[in-house]
Amino acid sequence: MVWLDGVTKTYRLGKEGMVTAVQAVDLDVARGEFLVITGRSGAGKTTLLNLVAGLTRPTDGRIVWGDVDLWRMPDAQRSHLRNRRLGFVFQFASLLPSLTVAENVALPTAFGSHRREPGAHERASELLRTVGLADKRDAYPRQLSAGQQQRVVIARSLINDPEMLLADEPTSNLDAATECEMMALFAEIHAMRGVTILMVTHAPQFVPGCARLVEMADGAICARGSA
Amino acid sequence: MTLFQLAWKNVVGSAFRSWVVYLCVLLVTGLLFSFALLIGGTRDSLRLVQQRLGADVVVVPEGTETEIESALLMGHPVTAWMPRENEIKIARVPGVRTVSPQLYLASLANAPCCTAEMLVMAFDPRTDFTIAPWLGQHLGHSLSAGEAVGGSDVFVPYGEEHLRIYGSEIDLVGSLERTGTGLDTALFLTFETAYEVAENSRTEAIRPLEIPPESISAALVRVEPGIDPRVAALQIMNEVPGVTAIPASGLFQGFRRQIGGLLQGMLALLGIASALSLAIVGLIFSMAVNERRREIGVVRALGATQGEVLRALFAEALILALGGGATGILLAATVLYLFRDLIVVSLAMPFLFPPLPSLIALVGGGLVAGCAGVGLAVLFPVVRASCLDPAVAMREQ
Repeated sequence: MVWLDGVTKTYRLGKEGMVTAVQAVDLDVARGEFLVITGRSGAGKTTLLNLVAGLTRPTDGRIVWGDVDLWRMPDAQRSHLRNRRLGFVFQFASLLPSLTVAENVALPTAFGSHRREPGAHERASELLRTVGLADKRDAYPRQLSAGQQQRVVIARSLINDPEMLLADEPTSNLDAATECEMMALFAEIHAMRGVTILMVTHAPQFVPGCARLVEMADGAICARGSA
Repeated sequence: MTLFQLAWKNVVGSAFRSWVVYLCVLLVTGLLFSFALLIGGTRDSLRLVQQRLGADVVVVPEGTETEIESALLMGHPVTAWMPRENEIKIARVPGVRTVSPQLYLASLANAPCCTAEMLVMAFDPRTDFTIAPWLGQHLGHSLSAGEAVGGSDVFVPYGEEHLRIYGSEIDLVGSLERTGTGLDTALFLTFETAYEVAENSRTEAIRPLEIPPESISAALVRVEPGIDPRVAALQIMNEVPGVTAIPASGLFQGFRRQIGGLLQGMLALLGIASALSLAIVGLIFSMAVNERRREIGVVRALGATQGEVLRALFAEALILALGGGATGILLAATVLYLFRDLIVVSLAMPFLFPPLPSLIALVGGGLVAGCAGVGLAVLFPVVRASCLDPAVAMREQ
């Protein structure tokens, strides 16, 4: 589905000079797979996820979606790919505070060729029912708990029926019980919808048994295995 | 949801930022619109006075040009006299086609014999080309003895049937269109009526109206086709001693210079206010964009293109520019309309509120200028935000 070929990402960090966040990574993500990337803080997990999504340009190497190099696409095509084929669940609160829950869920439909497609709000309502927040559709993010906000983000990530979900430490701000619930939700989505999931987490103990594990250290993949 | 709806939600959701930008735009467009309206109104007003006089050259007694211009512009009563024989001398100057004499008189303030203090302009119906065409068009006859037409602000007081000038009862038979100048408060009557009023004033007024015999206050001149009024004016001054001949293009030059200084000062203030306001708008947007870097990164991650981020941010700026601009223009127009007479008096400048088509053009121009100004002010932060690397934007908070 997507493969990374010798991908390196180096950042310039002010006076500290260059920092290599990801170093010559080769990775293949198969369709329908549940891939978990673990590692300590600063290992390069989030950067790797951003590279897969085309959110940052690699310093070296290629990221190939299907048979197309992501960085040979123009911005509009890359954005279209993110919009149509990917869903994002971020580590931080990523809901827009000025939009209601339902509007946040439907937000990805505001971009690209979706704009004139009807039924976005019906789909948003259905997804909110799926994540157990049907009664919160007109609430604003500030009126929700952290766990509820992440559920809304998961609903948003599914609005365009993506082929792949990219989740960056989606449970890091949640208590253990909610973390467990959220992981169960991801497992359910993976099982029921057949969505490929690429998840960065520091707590692999909660991931489902079918997941493939990749461990990163110092920007490189240091171990591969299964949950 | 459309990009515009998203922009609208962001505008409503960021109340403080939106209010500051809205108020800055309101200030800039309000000032800009007021300035344009004042300049346009003054220019229209001067043009109308010149049109109403209808003269190519105005001849006045030497040394009285400032007072007479002031009388025509601001309605300040004036008394200036020159021999009536000047009319014949002027008529003999080569290139002069028509000469029409005028008397400039002043009614009395706070006197029972006069309705109000006003400039009274008497004309000779045999030669007049200033009021006579209007009379023919609107009344169908010339003025009879005891009749007058007034400027737009001249009216018969409630409960009375006539105007009282030095004890004489004058019938107001028509009102001229507004010019925004002293002519709006002036009364126009014939020489015959003026002399009758002067005669009656000896017994009916608390102070008699003195019109020196065989005297006139000014002579309005029309030149032959193809003759340059400036050349004719020079010839008149050469051949008729004791007069100043002012070509129509040179009328109100002193006033124009005076108001030019005032307008330059206003322009400087406007420039400073606009620059400051737009700098604040730019700064506020820059801060807002910095504050919302993560949000912009998220929106890009969700599939917004650089162009869509750019359009959404510009839409926010445009909503505020249109809202603030429309309010600023509405406020400025209302204030200038309500206080147009006060402007004429306090700034001592003629001012005519523009007709609807000009007003619509000015409003449109004001809105476009407001939007363009805001567009320029937010250009840099908005373009920078749309070009952000989404991953970097989401990381830096």
